[in-house]
Amino acid sequence: MSFAPPWFRTPAVLFCLAPALVQGAVQAPVQDGELAERLYRSGERAYAAKSYKEALDTWGQLLQSVPGSEFAPRALLELARHQVEVERKPEAAMPYLDRMKAEYIRAPEAADGLLLRGILLARQARRPADLKDAMAEFNRVLDLFPDSPAVPGARLRLGRAWRDQGQWGRALRQFVEVFRARPDAAEAPRAMLEAAETMDLLGDLPGCLRMLQQLRDRAPKSPEALDAAWRIAVRVKHRLQKPPFNNEGAWPSGRTKWLKTPTLLALASEGDLLLYQNDLDRAFRLHHGDLVPVGPAATGVKALVVPPTGDLWLLSKAGLLRGQDPALVPLGGLGAITGAALDRWGALWVADAKTPALTVFSSDGASRTVASPTANALASLPSGGVIIAADADRKLLFLDADGQPRTVVPYGKDLPASFRYVIALASDGAGQVAVLVDGGDFGEGVMVLGPDGAVLRQATFKSLGINGRITSLALDRSGGLVLCDRRNDLLIRLN
Amino acid sequence: MRLCRLLPFALLFCLSLGAQDPVLKDTFLQGKALWATQGDREGAAARFEKVVQTLAPQAASLEAAWIQVLSESYNWLAVLDDRHAQGKPKVQGHLQALIDLNPDFEVDRALTSQRLVALFDRLKAEKYAPVKLSYAPEGGILTVDGRPSAALPRKFLPFGARTLRYSRPGFAPAELSLEIAPREAKAADFTLARTSSAVTLHVQPSGAEVLLDGRSLGHTRGQAGPEALDLAVPLGLRPEDLSEAFVIADLAPGKHLLELRAPCFRAKVLQLDESLATPWADHTLEPLRLEPSKGTLSVTSAWAGGELFLSGQSQGPLPVSQLPVCSGPYDLLVRFPGGGFSQRITVEDGKALAVEARPKPRLACLGLEGETDFTGRARFLSLLDALGAQLQQVAYLPPRPGETPKQALARVKASREAELILLATPVPDKVIHRIELMVATLDGEEDRLLVKPLEQDPLGPLAARLNTVPPTQEPGLGLSLLDVPGEPGPWVLAASEAAQKAGIQVGKAITQANGKPLPSVRDLRLVMAGAQGSVALSQGGVPVVLPIQSEGLEIPLSAADLCYPSVLAHLRLQYAGAKGDEASLARLNLGLALMHFRKYDKAIDLLRDARLSRVSGVSQGTLDYHMGLCFLRLGSTYQAEAAQAFRQAMKYPQATLLGPDGPLVAPLARQALEDLK
Repeated sequence: MSFAPPWFRTPAVLFCLAPALVQGAVQAPVQDGELAERLYRSGERAYAAKSYKEALDTWGQLLQSVPGSEFAPRALLELARHQVEVERKPEAAMPYLDRMKAEYIRAPEAADGLLLRGILLARQARRPADLKDAMAEFNRVLDLFPDSPAVPGARLRLGRAWRDQGQWGRALRQFVEVFRARPDAAEAPRAMLEAAETMDLLGDLPGCLRMLQQLRDRAPKSPEALDAAWRIAVRVKHRLQKPPFNNEGAWPSGRTKWLKTPTLLALASEGDLLLYQNDLDRAFRLHHGDLVPVGPAATGVKALVVPPTGDLWLLSKAGLLRGQDPALVPLGGLGAITGAALDRWGALWVADAKTPALTVFSSDGASRTVASPTANALASLPSGGVIIAADADRKLLFLDADGQPRTVVPYGKDLPASFRYVIALASDGAGQVAVLVDGGDFGEGVMVLGPDGAVLRQATFKSLGINGRITSLALDRSGGLVLCDRRNDLLIRLN
Repeated sequence: MRLCRLLPFALLFCLSLGAQDPVLKDTFLQGKALWATQGDREGAAARFEKVVQTLAPQAASLEAAWIQVLSESYNWLAVLDDRHAQGKPKVQGHLQALIDLNPDFEVDRALTSQRLVALFDRLKAEKYAPVKLSYAPEGGILTVDGRPSAALPRKFLPFGARTLRYSRPGFAPAELSLEIAPREAKAADFTLARTSSAVTLHVQPSGAEVLLDGRSLGHTRGQAGPEALDLAVPLGLRPEDLSEAFVIADLAPGKHLLELRAPCFRAKVLQLDESLATPWADHTLEPLRLEPSKGTLSVTSAWAGGELFLSGQSQGPLPVSQLPVCSGPYDLLVRFPGGGFSQRITVEDGKALAVEARPKPRLACLGLEGETDFTGRARFLSLLDALGAQLQQVAYLPPRPGETPKQALARVKASREAELILLATPVPDKVIHRIELMVATLDGEEDRLLVKPLEQDPLGPLAARLNTVPPTQEPGLGLSLLDVPGEPGPWVLAASEAAQKAGIQVGKAITQANGKPLPSVRDLRLVMAGAQGSVALSQGGVPVVLPIQSEGLEIPLSAADLCYPSVLAHLRLQYAGAKGDEASLARLNLGLALMHFRKYDKAIDLLRDARLSRVSGVSQGTLDYHMGLCFLRLGSTYQAEAAQAFRQAMKYPQATLLGPDGPLVAPLARQALEDLK
């Protein structure tokens, strides 16, 4: 046990090593190597004890005194990782990685360094073209270090980069290569999941389902296998079985009049239902039948957005509330928000009933508009784009990541009668979109669309015996549909 | 040294004596007949001389019957030489030799003259004195000065102090000392006190192991003599069909279990009644016959050139069909021109055992490179020696003592006695704490692994990798199944035409397999693994019987738990014994293994000529796609060939990678083709 305070340890270590440092300057390289190893191990020990400053100083000393050692690139990599994982300052990691790339490209650690550099560059990207540098780093890993354990990680990221550029075929090749070449790699389950989703985007639903099943068979205990289970369930239910909707009544377990004017629904990343109760001015998470408040209080919320970080964003006339942060981010005066979604680049797409365009807010707060008809509802799509409903044009538009319409579905297509309004849209992350409609000969009802815009399931509320005022809906992970009835203060599940 | 040189000759002599037994007996009888019927003294003497010349040098180790033959031959020679002037000087020598051989021998007085008898007695009296002995009970074993001697009522013993001991099973032995002096007749009485019962048994065959209450008492041996006639005849046997008497002495009171075991015979167990143990008495059991015990062994192999060895004995080339084999355990070994197959088998009485021999690659350990000493070197070497015990998928040839790795490599390369080599090399350092293990094929594909000599089981990771052989086929039913939450069993996503014709409905769950509930796809795999030929599936209605088919699998390109040189060796052996699609599948996987080593040109060579008749799953399209990838890796020179291969692959829209449920090849090939543009 040491009684020396942490601030004393680094100088003490350096003091102890001083004779070696002095000797190292004049003696043979073999002794340099010894010194480098001792410094590196000393840093490792300090780091394991969470004495980060001591560790960083020691590794810095190593880089300064024995830069030619085989331990120098290891130290650089550790320093970079520390900045990313502990300090959460990726920009501070870049100088280390740049140095690694410039001076130690032959070292085995350079593979991990290049991969990390690529990951950081990909995170900085705000549009597809920004991925170019990141992809170059991933390709360098593959070309220069084909046997490195970093290869599966590089391929996975390369696949994602291709996918984010809309190059699904190329993405699929990379994902497949991950688990074909290294089935035991840590990245293999994730690559299988992403390959399956890419197959679906490419229109190969059977291939997608088989791949998800393979994932469940090969890595049954992985988080991806749990993901695969619900993805299989919703696809089979909505796209293959397509049973008529059946009203299961008040949900969960027949609870009625237990809410205070619920108006909005969304699904959290782990599958829990999120709902906003207008009379309580607050959002809640429904977890095992219990309501748990989420985020700060907010009045008049018009849209819920679930970012990848897992918290909840609330959009209202007043602005945007992000997670636990009570500070309101202004939304450029949008007063009639009808829907919102986050894209792959972290930009927030907002639909406003009074704006004949979509407004996109980038993560740095800047906004731009994307030409579009006035959108009465909006939801995200797994392809990276969004779906909007334009009542004025009586069309549902599947937009790609650039806002260009890829599929247009006229209101009433594939239905016995047409409707006039879309009240809300919801997507399940597996390609299905639920649409809450009203008006016209169809009247109040719901329908589920496939990724190609085809109507998979539909029903009118009249046929289901629903009389309330349904304002929002969500697709759950069992292939069911949850409706939010603000008049009767309850939730209804359709199966 | 000189003795060592003489040893083979002595051995040869003994063997020739054994082989001459009947001839020698015949010579002896001819001698007697020549004199008795023809009065041919010279002819008779020549034959007795021959007997003496053969037996006399072995006199000390001769059995009683041969001592009698030799004694009689001396007697005959004395008589015959006495009748011829030139032979007379040899007479005394013959008699003296006879006395030295067997002082208790009684010369044939009908044959021998009074004068010669007197001479014999005189010569004997110069060294021996008679002793009168009585034995109660008779039939025991007498030793004189520790050497066995016939228990006769009158014996001639050499002058001096003698210790006589008389023993018999079931009695306490008795011992006494006598001072033998010239012309002084002595007498001794042996009366033994009984201490237990004794059971005598004869067994057919001889050589059976006798166990009493599970404890081995020894083996029966030899052949019974005329004294066993009364025992043998009622069973339709001759005495010589039975073993010598085997006596179980010191039988404790109570019941006992007697067990007889002999190779190729059924073990026999019988209970000895307590009346055999008490009251104390001698008992002779009825002869015990063991029934022959044999099974049959058939060994086949799809691989050519195998030779079967059973516990080291060659049984000829494969196939071996219905070979009668004594029941019992054997080490079965089949040597192939490439690879070997070994299995511990047990042949059971009356049963037929069939073995399919599939050769395993052989791994020759070249040893530890260099003489550098390090802590744990001796332990590491002994672990290398014993590595074979941990290996199930390769036949291990341990390093040979005194051979350097270089010499061992030259030997293995010259003899091709192994497909794989293993070399351990200490990683140079101030202190050796890492050893590199290299496994390689003889063609140079190698895999390296670093281990620490002081860790608990430094060869464990290598053994685990060598024991892992990736499957290239799996059982299937022509169905694509999903575990859909909420469904009662595996949900049919797709079914082959045959399965649909048989009655399988797509879009419905399978609820039962072979009459038992089937909750998941994994459970169906277990059912298939234990099924023979087919599985009956139910989707709620009438069960549908589907045949189990073999579906192709690809090996992973770079799995950490595989030793790829070993995988290559396995696949090469698999290919050598395969035909049709199985051979093409082996070629495809050989190509993948070579792609692991980045030997794309060699992989193309293999893939180019392989033809898979299948069009779905791992099939011809898969093969074409991999060929395209190999051409791509060879650089821009082969772009046209790569494009051609991808175009070919796109012709098989149902072809998949990895296995029957893997990703489709066609979209990947299409993308590869687009990328080439």
